[in-house]
Amino acid sequence: MDDSTYREIAELALNGSGQHIPPTKSYLIESRLGPILRREQFAGVAELLACIRARPSSPLGGEIVAALTSKTTHFFRERAAFERIVNHVLPMMAPSAPGGKLRIWCAGGSSGQEAYSLAMLIGESENEALKDIQVEILTSDISEKMSARARSGKFGHFDVQKGLSIHRLLSNFSRLDTGEWQVSQDLANRVGVRTHNILQDCSGLGVFDVITCCNVIGGMGSQMRARALVNLARQLSDSGVLVIGKDETATGLVTGLEPSRDLRGAYCREVTPGALTAAA
Amino acid sequence: MKSCLIVDDSRVVRKVAGRIVQDLQFEVTEAGDGADALKSCRENMPDAILLDWNMPVMNGLDFLRALRREQGGSKPIVVFCSTENDAEHIGEAMRSGANEFIMKPFDADIIHSKFAEVGLV
Repeated sequence: MDDSTYREIAELALNGSGQHIPPTKSYLIESRLGPILRREQFAGVAELLACIRARPSSPLGGEIVAALTSKTTHFFRERAAFERIVNHVLPMMAPSAPGGKLRIWCAGGSSGQEAYSLAMLIGESENEALKDIQVEILTSDISEKMSARARSGKFGHFDVQKGLSIHRLLSNFSRLDTGEWQVSQDLANRVGVRTHNILQDCSGLGVFDVITCCNVIGGMGSQMRARALVNLARQLSDSGVLVIGKDETATGLVTGLEPSRDLRGAYCREVTPGALTAAA
Repeated sequence: MKSCLIVDDSRVVRKVAGRIVQDLQFEVTEAGDGADALKSCRENMPDAILLDWNMPVMNGLDFLRALRREQGGSKPIVVFCSTENDAEHIGEAMRSGANEFIMKPFDADIIHSKFAEVGLV
């Protein structure tokens, strides 16, 4: 791939999803776009770009941006944070939950493993405070393909063996004739799925008590990272928490977003209207 | 250093699994069937056992039941590793005293994840 093709794709990714693809990682472009190139019978990335330039409104541009993002995830990836959410944060919020309902959003949740992991923990919880509380979980991803996979609730042989104990597998999944594993109806009922780009306005999704966005902003350019964080934080309830990956930080990026006192590595927003802005 | 006994009648599987488990800082010993494995355990009880199901002489399930009746036989953490991966077989292995179950084929990430589940790494 020549330099100008790389630069054009990198710009498309940055503007579309916030993802920063440095020149040292340009190999990701060809490997992640490979399936689209084959399907559309393009000889290479340059041909694909020419086609997008000629038809800027075709859905292919959005599909490319989504395909370039990382899909890597596994069940219970941020285990410690998830356990703390279910064992401490939700029970603390429960007494003042409006209508006995709490809402969690896994933003950039890829094929849904984060959401289903939280649903399993909630199902297993014997905490009295959560007994009469309905916890609704939404998982979203920029990629329609990943959302479709999350919605299907079907996971492959390798997926169900990473992060998931055999007890949890047998209690929450059933094996299909295809060799795949299907999440139980109980888990599926708890989890909703949407295709959504966190760089765009999120208000249509409503307000959430917990938002997780793990291992998503780490790969973004800093301006886009701030934009994503502001968008997410705006959807937090007054006492809501935003949880990002353990190797990621939001410190210094957004004015009005403060480290949470209840959950290490998480953030709360200032409730004054207009307090949230990208830091200068 | 913790020790792990790898029990499988396939030499290739023993070698592949052995390398993966060595990377997780285990000292590895091997056995080609359940009877061989039981003999090895009587001499030196390992911390972990990665156990195949279908083997000649003594299969994995018979070995596991025998192991759990041995002196010190409750100590090793047993991770079953088998192509018999329907819910009935997995359930039977777990009821017979296995601590975890890996469905074949496996890779290094799966072994790492399953060993982490049972606190071996």
